Amino acid sequence: MEILLVFIIGLLHAGGLYMLLRRSMFKMIIGLILLGNGANLLIFLIGRLVKGKPPVIDEGLKVFADAYADPLPQALVLTAIVIGFGLQSFAIILIKRVYNVLETDDLDELNSTDEEL
Amino acid sequence: MSNPYIILPIVFHMAAAVILMFCWFQPRVQKLLSILFSLIGLGISVWLFRLVWHEGFQVTQAGNWDAPFGISFIADTLGSTLGLLSSISLLAVSIFSTVSMREERIKFGYFPTLHFLIMGLQGAFLTADIFNLYVWFEVVIISSFVLLTLGGKKTQLEGALKYVSLNLLASTFFLIGIALVYGLTGSLNLADVAIKIGAVENRGLVNMTAGLFLVAFGIKSALFPMYFWLPASYHTPPAAISAIFAGLLTKVGVYAMVRMFTMVFIGDTFMSITLSGLAALTIISGGLGAIRQQHLGKIFGYLIICHIGFLFAGLGIFTELALVGTIFYLIHDIVVKTNLFIVAGLMNKLTGSPFIKEQGGLYAKYPLLSLLFAIPLFSLVGIPPLSGFWAKVYLIQASFETREFLLVGSIIFGSFLTLWVIAKVWSESFWKDKPEASSSGKPWSTFSTKEKWGILVPIMFLSIVSLYIGLAAENIISLASRIAAELMDPSAYINSILGMK
Amino acid sequence: MMLLIVLSGFLFSALTRPIGSIFKQALPWVFTALPVLLFIYFCSQIGVVSSGDSLTWTYKWVPSLGLDLVFELNGLSLLFALLITGIGSLVFFYSTYYLKGHAYMDRFYGYLSMFMASMLGVVLSDNLLALFIFWELTSISSFFLIGFNNEDPKSRKSALTALSITGLGGLVLLGGIILLSSIGGTYSFSELLSQRNSILSSSSYCWILVFVFIGSFTKSAQFPFHFWLPGAMKAPTPVSTYLHSATMVKAGIFLLAKMTPLLGGTPAWNHTLMIVGGITMVYAAIHSLFRVDLKGILAYSTISALGILVFLIGVGTEKALLAVGIFILTHALYKAALFLITGIIDYQTGSRDVSQLKGLQHVMKPVAIAGFIAALSSAGFPLFLGFLSKEIMYEATFKYAEIGILLTAAIVLTKIFLLVAGFWAGISPFTGELPENLKATKKPSPILWVPPLLLGVGSVLFGVFPALIEQSLIQPVFANISGLDTSIYLALWHGFNTVLLLSILTLIIGTAIYFQWKPSEGKFARTLRFEKISPQTLLEGFAVGFHTFAGVWTRAVQNGYLRNYVLSILAFLTVIMGYRFYEGVSIYLDWNQLSEITPSEVIVVTLMVISIIFAIVSTSRTASIVALGVVGFANCLFFLFYSAPDLAMTQFSIDTLTVLLFMLVLFKLPKNKIFSSKRIRIRDAVLSVLFGLLIAILTLEVFEEPSVTDISKYYADNAYLLAKGRNVVNVILVDYRGMDTLVETTVLIIAAIGVFSLIKLNLNPSKEQ
Repeated sequence: MEILLVFIIGLLHAGGLYMLLRRSMFKMIIGLILLGNGANLLIFLIGRLVKGKPPVIDEGLKVFADAYADPLPQALVLTAIVIGFGLQSFAIILIKRVYNVLETDDLDELNSTDEEL
Repeated sequence: MSNPYIILPIVFHMAAAVILMFCWFQPRVQKLLSILFSLIGLGISVWLFRLVWHEGFQVTQAGNWDAPFGISFIADTLGSTLGLLSSISLLAVSIFSTVSMREERIKFGYFPTLHFLIMGLQGAFLTADIFNLYVWFEVVIISSFVLLTLGGKKTQLEGALKYVSLNLLASTFFLIGIALVYGLTGSLNLADVAIKIGAVENRGLVNMTAGLFLVAFGIKSALFPMYFWLPASYHTPPAAISAIFAGLLTKVGVYAMVRMFTMVFIGDTFMSITLSGLAALTIISGGLGAIRQQHLGKIFGYLIICHIGFLFAGLGIFTELALVGTIFYLIHDIVVKTNLFIVAGLMNKLTGSPFIKEQGGLYAKYPLLSLLFAIPLFSLVGIPPLSGFWAKVYLIQASFETREFLLVGSIIFGSFLTLWVIAKVWSESFWKDKPEASSSGKPWSTFSTKEKWGILVPIMFLSIVSLYIGLAAENIISLASRIAAELMDPSAYINSILGMK
Repeated sequence: MMLLIVLSGFLFSALTRPIGSIFKQALPWVFTALPVLLFIYFCSQIGVVSSGDSLTWTYKWVPSLGLDLVFELNGLSLLFALLITGIGSLVFFYSTYYLKGHAYMDRFYGYLSMFMASMLGVVLSDNLLALFIFWELTSISSFFLIGFNNEDPKSRKSALTALSITGLGGLVLLGGIILLSSIGGTYSFSELLSQRNSILSSSSYCWILVFVFIGSFTKSAQFPFHFWLPGAMKAPTPVSTYLHSATMVKAGIFLLAKMTPLLGGTPAWNHTLMIVGGITMVYAAIHSLFRVDLKGILAYSTISALGILVFLIGVGTEKALLAVGIFILTHALYKAALFLITGIIDYQTGSRDVSQLKGLQHVMKPVAIAGFIAALSSAGFPLFLGFLSKEIMYEATFKYAEIGILLTAAIVLTKIFLLVAGFWAGISPFTGELPENLKATKKPSPILWVPPLLLGVGSVLFGVFPALIEQSLIQPVFANISGLDTSIYLALWHGFNTVLLLSILTLIIGTAIYFQWKPSEGKFARTLRFEKISPQTLLEGFAVGFHTFAGVWTRAVQNGYLRNYVLSILAFLTVIMGYRFYEGVSIYLDWNQLSEITPSEVIVVTLMVISIIFAIVSTSRTASIVALGVVGFANCLFFLFYSAPDLAMTQFSIDTLTVLLFMLVLFKLPKNKIFSSKRIRIRDAVLSVLFGLLIAILTLEVFEEPSVTDISKYYADNAYLLAKGRNVVNVILVDYRGMDTLVETTVLIIAAIGVFSLIKLNLNPSKEQ
């Protein structure tokens, strides 16, 4: 199964970057979100997959009785998801504003600040 | 030594930002409070710096969980020095903002965001946990996004688009890198990782992960060929915002790079060649960009890149001598670049144009102001004995000793290009008569007294600091040498965090 | 005391404004007092130095860098200090009248005293790093002084050119000094002297030479870097006198002379200096004949004289080094006088055109006398100091090994041309009939003519009585340069010999040429044909080319297209990681570590792959967004399968929010267009897939590494016991790593501020206006 997940991770990264390489702002955001998903999945996978044993200590016990999933990567992913959401929503609103002000979706037309001045 | 108060700089700026948010619609109150908070913040940083200087590293474990289980914070010499410099920059910028920032921007959360930004920086300088570092980085970049776009002008938005997308890309690489480091070592604590990473047998994996960190921090610190976002965006926001960015944002990337590549990824030959090569290319590419520009903000923007190369040169050489150079240059650069962008903002106002070909006559009209402006300009060039000079001596010496002649050449050449560019700025903006056709600026005499002080105090403050760095170089060298020694031998850092004697 | 001596100039310069406000009109006189006092001080030290002692004064400035301010007054530095303060006094004095009423009088004196202090620093420093610091300061003060008339674009350009050349040379010199110290282990010149042998035998010796030479040649205007000096003549004449003839340009000579006992005496040293100095002296002497602007003539004859000095240092015999010492003094005396005279003529008549100026002796007698003396000293007539130096020069070259004849020919030729140039500058304007248009010329003020006359007195006095300077001044200079304690002997009469013959020949031929050759605009114009291949044109062409290249480079790198930026970052990362992968990653796969694949998982994976691809290729925005949502939900399912219910929850809600936001905000956007060509898309796809592959392999291999789990085990073991929580993930979030969560919340708050301001605040000028 991990092989498949690794494949998905690779695909998410490749797809995300491919989208970042496009000229459309909209695709750029899609790309960033795909990349974010890939990164989260990667962290999750690194913590190793354990089926059906959430890291929750059963009632009445003080420590785990048997195997459990590594809780730390889960915590990291959780933080990363939330932070990612903050940044992504900012980015989405940003391109909305850019579109409103500059009326284009084509990144190639947005290069006035790079020009030699 | 264990000391829970070392997170005070973080907590304080967070509290400051929150209090400022409560004063959302009262710009005047915000201005006063921001200056007050910056002053107190500076006080705290000075206290922490002195404490570390006299009594050694200060450590605290968040939530009292022993390292490496909780998140450790450590104030070492490097961290506390950079914290101090951020506070200095913040104070200058916050005073400058009170007179230069449009009221609309203040009503949309300028000051709280500014303090959040500093909180993020302080956090990044103090944390000893890789994932926590990532989180602080995110605070820094989201704050910088907000500041960069605040006002939503056309150029701001265009610049921000590149800034945001490339920085998000860098963050993703950083995050992946962290995950891989966790996978390899099972730990996130910097000290713990530093120990455990040595035990990983499959070195290729460590090296590949180092590549991810190189690119992640390389983007953030504007290294060639990853600096594109900087010339596209740094000149677009108001001067105060550019100033704080110029002083601190790329530098936090350099800081992270220095930390990771002196503790975790001790470079092998390949990494060292890569870093040296990138440093040389960055210096030259930045210099080449600078000599082509007419926009003052862009000239200085490219010079930031050029000088980032100097910082990386020391890291590439990686001897104690070279690191002294890097650290000294870092200290100098933070102060001078902040000052320069404030000065650029004022020059823009006085002449009514950001383009040097349309500026002019400053020297004839304002001899004293020109003299004041000359301090940061020529400090940047490194006219001895001003602050930019000393670090170069170390860097050149270190390059000679390791026979990195390419670096010697690029450092000399980069210094020359900087000299030429600044002399050109001087010749155009100060010496030349103001061209008839160009828009007229706002004469100094029409500034209110409050405005005059609000502009002059930060410039003078930063100029005095940079003069001190230059003329009392001995003190800065002993500071930089101590930091360099600590970086070359991180055992003290590791032992303090892990609580070992 | 010495510190005060050197720094007093900086102090005065820093206090320009207060001094100005206290003394008002008297400011120039206050400043003039400074060099006069210093000159008196240095004169009083002649006795001490000539007795063979040297005065030293030390202050440890930056000890950790080995930078001490060590000021040492020995023969060589005393000679220069006397020139700096002596000619300084005259120039300061002269300028009080010359620049009277100039709006920026105060700045002028500020810069001038800053320059004087830096120059004193250069000649007095024993520590080479300190020497470099002062060296750079002279370049900077020169920049400000050349650009003093800053409204004139030519002034600004010349200032920039001069600073570029001397600045670059200075930086290279810094490299040389650092290299020297890294071999010798110290910046102290006197300590380095004792390590001469190890330096000469070091493999870096050759590089040190190259660096030091470039530093000296740029500063002392040697071919092919000489052209900044004629340009620097845009500065007011007192500045040209002081910086660009008498003192600053001699800093390079000073450095070479100082370095002779340390680095000199090798073929590389001697030959380079002879060749470069030789070319410079002949080239510039010829050039000086074609100028019609008095300052132009003087500029080129100065370059030629500097060439002679470099040449003599290159010859390096005892006689040659002795000649160096005397010629420095000689040249300073006559050339400064000629410059000052040119200034007077310019001031009184408004012209510097040598073909127009005639008969001025009728209106300015004392100036004419000074001019005659200077010209004759420059020509080397007997009873003038110039005669002495010329004799010794000829003697030195004549006796130099096999190529003595060649060297002598070169120097005689140079001397002949310089004689002509000197006559043109010092004699021609004063002789003949006074033209009508100059009849109205007023008599110059004594403040103007006294300084050149005083210099003339010096030339005659020392020329007639060489004993005055023989033991007191020249002997210690010679000792410093040569490192020998041979006694020197200066005599007017050397007996009848070839040298005397040559000397007389020089005078006769030179004078003959002077009467035959008239500089004119026409001749000057003819030389311009060669401009195309002059070093100035070539170097400027190179600079322009470089500037163009910088433009091409910058536009190529910073091309404005985000996709190219991403592309180069990605390519760089792929190369780095790919190389690291290729270099050594041991790949293995342990199937036992992997869990088996269940049908439900296969369905989810398939769903995910399809939706990722759909999100990429879809031309409808809405469809892309929906596909993106599906990717998120599939992610969510993975989390659910593998024991992460909290994650699944979070992912689900965040994903929903993102999709909603996307829909609300972006659904008005136009349809997705395909902008790029097929080739580009394939290139991007290949690169992305390559990167994805690398990440996938890296992930898999890291996953295969033996896992270290003591930290997460600690979390699990103590979650309930110490932190009182059963859900370990939650415990980590709120307790173990509570800081992360706190900061994460902050990120959301800041993002909210940003979103709010983005939506509400628009400072663009609105469209209606």
